[in-house]
Amino acid sequence: MTPDQELKIVFTGPMGAGKTTAIRAISDVPPVSTEVDNSDRTACDKESTTVALDYGQLLLEDGTAVRLYGTPGQERFGFMWEILCSGAMGVVLLIGGSSSTALADLSSYAQTFQRLNPDQPLVIGVGRATCADGRQLDAYAAALASRGIVAPVFDVDVRRREDVLLLIETLLCILEAQVPEAEHAAR
Amino acid sequence: MQPASERFPPHILESIQRQLAEFVAANPGVTLAVLTSGDGFEVAAHPHMPIAQRIAAMSSSLQALSEAILREAGLSRSRNLIIESDGGTIVVLGIPDTSPRLSLAVVASGSEILGRLLWATRSCCAALGRSLQA
Repeated sequence: MTPDQELKIVFTGPMGAGKTTAIRAISDVPPVSTEVDNSDRTACDKESTTVALDYGQLLLEDGTAVRLYGTPGQERFGFMWEILCSGAMGVVLLIGGSSSTALADLSSYAQTFQRLNPDQPLVIGVGRATCADGRQLDAYAAALASRGIVAPVFDVDVRRREDVLLLIETLLCILEAQVPEAEHAAR
Repeated sequence: MQPASERFPPHILESIQRQLAEFVAANPGVTLAVLTSGDGFEVAAHPHMPIAQRIAAMSSSLQALSEAILREAGLSRSRNLIIESDGGTIVVLGIPDTSPRLSLAVVASGSEILGRLLWATRSCCAALGRSLQA
């Protein structure tokens, strides 16, 4: 089946935020993964880490093919961020809600990826948002607002397909709203 | 974050550093040799230069991508990663019997003959593997 249109969306966020898991949750094809053993357990206590990219594909009901690219989380792989953001229509930023650096991570990644993808929509998914310190989603929205960034923030479980699809659908709605009225009329 | 080099005993690191220096000295076309962890950390390099950290991260990404494309094609594990340009060559080879995996990334000028570079790099990797197990 030939898709009606193709979109490229980038999933990013710090190490351990769930980018690989999110793409795995929604991809229609077995995802391409570049996970290797994680030798830096002090930065993040997980066995493996993505060092190049994740890649998956999703065909939406309206015939739109979405190509899903996941970035490595660590800044030393920043060269991959630039490569993967080329041509992207939007960015899904995942933040681990239980991390003590969640708000700082949000500000840092949101600013970096807005710079790499100016004028493209950004949607935030906060995983495991029930935090020990009672931090609420409002705090994430306020942190973004203080940096002049407007982006919707959702509480998500990246293992759940419907949660990840919500992030994609929100991005698509923002993209649709950005289409000039003349183009809408022509459709 | 613990530097990757601190994950190895000092005497082993000294031995690795010496072997890298000898490798570069014996192969005049080689401009940089970086021992890299699978997740993109510089373990040791000769000569010491800031670019070594970025070469380490990039070579681990490329090696992971080469493994991914080999899996897609139904082929076995990557043996050599070779990037050739008019100005020179970069080769990345795995260090035998290391877990987590370590690799050696070597940058060489255009004067270096590829076959000779691969042979010398493979010999260096074997020697490094023996040192890491010592």
